[in-house]
Amino acid sequence: MSSLPPPPPVSGSRIDVPPVAEPMVELSNVSKVFGDVVAVSDVSFTVGPGVTALLGPNGAGKSTLFRMLCGLTPPSQGQVRVLGSDARRDREVRGRIGLIGQEDGLFDQLSAGRFVEIAAMTHGMVDPKAVAVEALAEVELDPLEPKPLGAYSKGMRQRVKVAAGLVNDPDVMVLDEPLTGLDPVQRRRMIALFHRLGDQGRCVLVSSHVLDEVARLGSRVLVIAQGRLAATGDYRALRDLMDDRPHRIRLRTDDPRTLAARLIDTGTAVAVRVETDGLVADILDVDRFGRSLAPLARDIGIRLHEVEPLDDDLESVFRYLVERR
Amino acid sequence: MTATQEPRRERRTVGSVAALIITFQVLVRQIVTRSRLIALGLMGAIVVVVGWAVGMSDSTDRDLDPLEQSVRISVNLGLTVVVPVVALVFAAGALGDARDDGTLVYLWLRPMRRWPVAVGAFAAALVVALPLTVIPVVATAALIESSGELVTAVAIATTVAVVGYTGLFLLLGSLLKRSIVWGLAYIIIWEGVAAGLGRAAARLSIRGYARSVITDRVGVEVASFDITQGWGIVAPLVAATAAIMLTTWRLNRMDVA
Repeated sequence: MSSLPPPPPVSGSRIDVPPVAEPMVELSNVSKVFGDVVAVSDVSFTVGPGVTALLGPNGAGKSTLFRMLCGLTPPSQGQVRVLGSDARRDREVRGRIGLIGQEDGLFDQLSAGRFVEIAAMTHGMVDPKAVAVEALAEVELDPLEPKPLGAYSKGMRQRVKVAAGLVNDPDVMVLDEPLTGLDPVQRRRMIALFHRLGDQGRCVLVSSHVLDEVARLGSRVLVIAQGRLAATGDYRALRDLMDDRPHRIRLRTDDPRTLAARLIDTGTAVAVRVETDGLVADILDVDRFGRSLAPLARDIGIRLHEVEPLDDDLESVFRYLVERR
Repeated sequence: MTATQEPRRERRTVGSVAALIITFQVLVRQIVTRSRLIALGLMGAIVVVVGWAVGMSDSTDRDLDPLEQSVRISVNLGLTVVVPVVALVFAAGALGDARDDGTLVYLWLRPMRRWPVAVGAFAAALVVALPLTVIPVVATAALIESSGELVTAVAIATTVAVVGYTGLFLLLGSLLKRSIVWGLAYIIIWEGVAAGLGRAAARLSIRGYARSVITDRVGVEVASFDITQGWGIVAPLVAATAAIMLTTWRLNRMDVA
């Protein structure tokens, strides 16, 4: 790929944090293009030991980023370094990565014990059988279960993948949507496992498109949307930033013009668009709006039929972070 | 963050032989499915039944002498249909299936060299394809004419053809999605039609070399070009080796899901 279309201007993250002192993973101006589609555009970040969450909606480019990081696909532009090297070329580095991919494919004819044992063998572990038993115990699966993997449920397959990713004692763990298909108890245990691995000095990168999951995953967050890095930093700062953004709410009422005028006069809304049976208001302070709306409607003698938030989904959060609108 | 380092598990370098054996073991289990064995076993059985029926028929009903008839049925049914189709299913599936279902990553993202993975996949496909092709084709030939020289010629020709096709289709599976369709197109268009139209094209077909082995050993004219038996054996082996090397190159450069 000789040249890429220039990425759209990004206003920059408001929650930037200083780069990691000793990066285990380093991406510099990385882009990835598939035909006419720009999957990842000019992304740079560094990640050190501990748990880091990669948050983004489906199709944002999280899996492509992880695939580049593990060397499964080369970047079209830029440089990817894991433990100072390129996993695509460096065999030694490949042995220090544990990838739990989003793909559901496993060697379905094998038992879980055999599958994880083979994973240990391919990493050159000295006692692969013992390693497999230990790794399966971490995810609470029976290494002696003879049932083939093809008969396992989605959640159990996910746990087998995590066990296979643990066998080589990886320095860098890359987990692409690892909580998919797990029940709440297993999710909690899995998140505790990730934190334990992070506390041992490993770099644990976990992707998710679920905000609440990320809240429990770790304090450091990378937000990716439309192939671009929208924000990086502490999860709490990100949460505050999202709470600070303007919210858009549709109100159905029998007198939208009077209500619109009052919302602007009182400063409850920063912008209002009147429609035939209601209005759409942009507000900054959700709590204040919630407190004042009912008394305000009563004061001017109008009836409220419906209050509907229009941008309470994750997509709008990402859109805001990318476009600041 | 306070890192609490735990003692790391002991490991050693994964040698090429170990990588080859692991790949072989894993892929043999993946490519051998009941439906494949039944379908391809049945195809071989049909060829044997044809050989038995021809062998049992009265010699006065035959247009050709038994040796020539045996050679022509072995070539037209065995080398033209059974051998390439069986090799295609298992060889294209060895890496192609793994790439398509996302399991290739369990062999790719490992501290292993690429060439043992390619050779292990080739060996897995070959070990499964050999008995499913050589046994029925040789049995068919023997049922029509039980000459030791004929059986040896057909066995050698079938074996070298399986080796050649396995290498070729292993490469195809690593290069293309829907490799079975492309492989069938190659078998029908190139090996089946183009190779019969001229010597130059025949020299670029696996079947052409296998046929020349039979002609050279038993004297029945089924070859499209004249070469010695030695070249007839060596050429498919060289093609398979080149295909494995190209598969290794491809593994180094491919995108893995």
